[in-house]
Amino acid sequence: MDYARFVRLRSALWDGFEARLAAAEKDPRRIAYGDLEDIALSYRQVLHDHALAASRFPGTGAAHRLRGLALQGTHWLRWDRGDRLPGPGAFFARTFPLAFRAHLPHLVAAVTLFATALLFGASLAIVQPGAGTAILGPEAVEGLRQGHLWTESLVSAVPPVVTSSGIATNNMSVALAGWAGGAALGLGSLYVILLNGFLLGAVLATTLHYGLAGALLEFVSAHGPLEITLILVTSAGGLALGQALVAAEDLPRRVVWQRAGRDALVLLVGCLPWFVVLGIVEAVVSPAPTVPRLLKAGLGLGLEASFLVLAWNPRLPGGR
Amino acid sequence: MENPPDATVLGLDNVPLELPVAGPASRALAAFLDYLIVGIVVFLWGGACLALFAVRRGLQWWALAAFLVGLFVIEYGYFATVEILRGGQTFGKWAVGLRVVTREAARPGTAAFLIRNAVRSVDLIIGVPLMVLDDLARRLGDRLAGTVVVHVEASRRGAVVLPRAPRGWSAQEVALLESFLWRAPEMEPWRAEHLARQLLDCIRHDDPDLAARVDPARNPVEALGDLVRTAEA
Repeated sequence: MDYARFVRLRSALWDGFEARLAAAEKDPRRIAYGDLEDIALSYRQVLHDHALAASRFPGTGAAHRLRGLALQGTHWLRWDRGDRLPGPGAFFARTFPLAFRAHLPHLVAAVTLFATALLFGASLAIVQPGAGTAILGPEAVEGLRQGHLWTESLVSAVPPVVTSSGIATNNMSVALAGWAGGAALGLGSLYVILLNGFLLGAVLATTLHYGLAGALLEFVSAHGPLEITLILVTSAGGLALGQALVAAEDLPRRVVWQRAGRDALVLLVGCLPWFVVLGIVEAVVSPAPTVPRLLKAGLGLGLEASFLVLAWNPRLPGGR
Repeated sequence: MENPPDATVLGLDNVPLELPVAGPASRALAAFLDYLIVGIVVFLWGGACLALFAVRRGLQWWALAAFLVGLFVIEYGYFATVEILRGGQTFGKWAVGLRVVTREAARPGTAAFLIRNAVRSVDLIIGVPLMVLDDLARRLGDRLAGTVVVHVEASRRGAVVLPRAPRGWSAQEVALLESFLWRAPEMEPWRAEHLARQLLDCIRHDDPDLAARVDPARNPVEALGDLVRTAEA
């Protein structure tokens, strides 16, 4: 068959396919079953015409047009259903707990690294008190000397609605950085874990030096445990990404990495909503002098327990 | 430029499909347009919050809180949300004619769009070098999500497909003629006419019967176009 004959014989089919596809893309709900079958049949014919044109008439307008139509049809007809996220109910009842369990070794590693960095930060601030000034700033340290925590300004400067928004978005940014940093060989996640541990240790030791550690622990008791847990869980997802990239497995690295990415995404999506709750707690409850110390601690423990129970979901059978 | 071998995937019935992979330059242009849009949206959101502040003084802190939340949502949500809603095209990609597809040329799922955009902050640092070094111009997010950015080929829809070709012409010669007719309107007139005369001479040599239908008084570009665009009765 010569080129001109090929075009004359088949162009009506291509035009029809293009028109049907355009209509389907515009409003997929109006497509009847019969139309869908027509599109699928035409797609197959276009694909075969594309193969013929690509081998017999390469570089021609028909070959270009058919490649475009074949790609457009493939994109519309073939959806990657394998990585669909389930609805909220199924996600928090099954998908998230399964991912959480699967990432336990990474979470243990993250907790160990965090604790090590915390001890290091605390030791450094005890041995070298100047480190606390460098981290907190001279104004905050001056406030500590006078017996005031810098956290008191959280309620005096701006109202809780602004503080909670700022805190929630900042914490989510940190969690996202810890997760995404895993894609860089896990280095970003390591940085977030170690930095947070180091800073917390140094700040605790500095407040201990000025006799205000109890006040700081009271301030963080409502939101701190869960906040640290969430950052460690999302960073554990990042560590899993890094491990999939670095450590060899039987499967190709590309496959392992993409699978790790999908699993780690579940951790991230499952943790993000909790930051909104934490933002409100940190802005409203934590700095409030009227809320009793025990109530703050109880709230902190309650939030932590709620998250862990939801994340583990004891009603789910063991294993993955 | 010839596509890398990796860009060919097997479609239905094992028909090879060559992905028109988008290079770093077109992707950078699309990203620039998208960040421009993000900047404008943030600016408008800031203006709206400022208006709220001006209208109701009692709501000043709420306006500030709304601005902070909106800033976060726009910054982190724009790319993923628009790609999910528009089937792999942000507005920047749409303007440049690009689309995100899976490695098999299919439409990616929601998780893939979320993953490729969740690592955008890392890609801002190492994305371009990775795209330059990769045959499929994939940044970190694409590798992690298993996606590729391709040209939609919208510009090619206007390409000329000739229903009639001079007898004995090979596919390469037909492609040359189609390419000329497609590009002729953008050429300088004297150059287009010069090339059209050369092509008509070739047709006269290879297919005198077809060439005999050309009106010598007409503009050679138009005459050539009419000659090969009109299907035989």
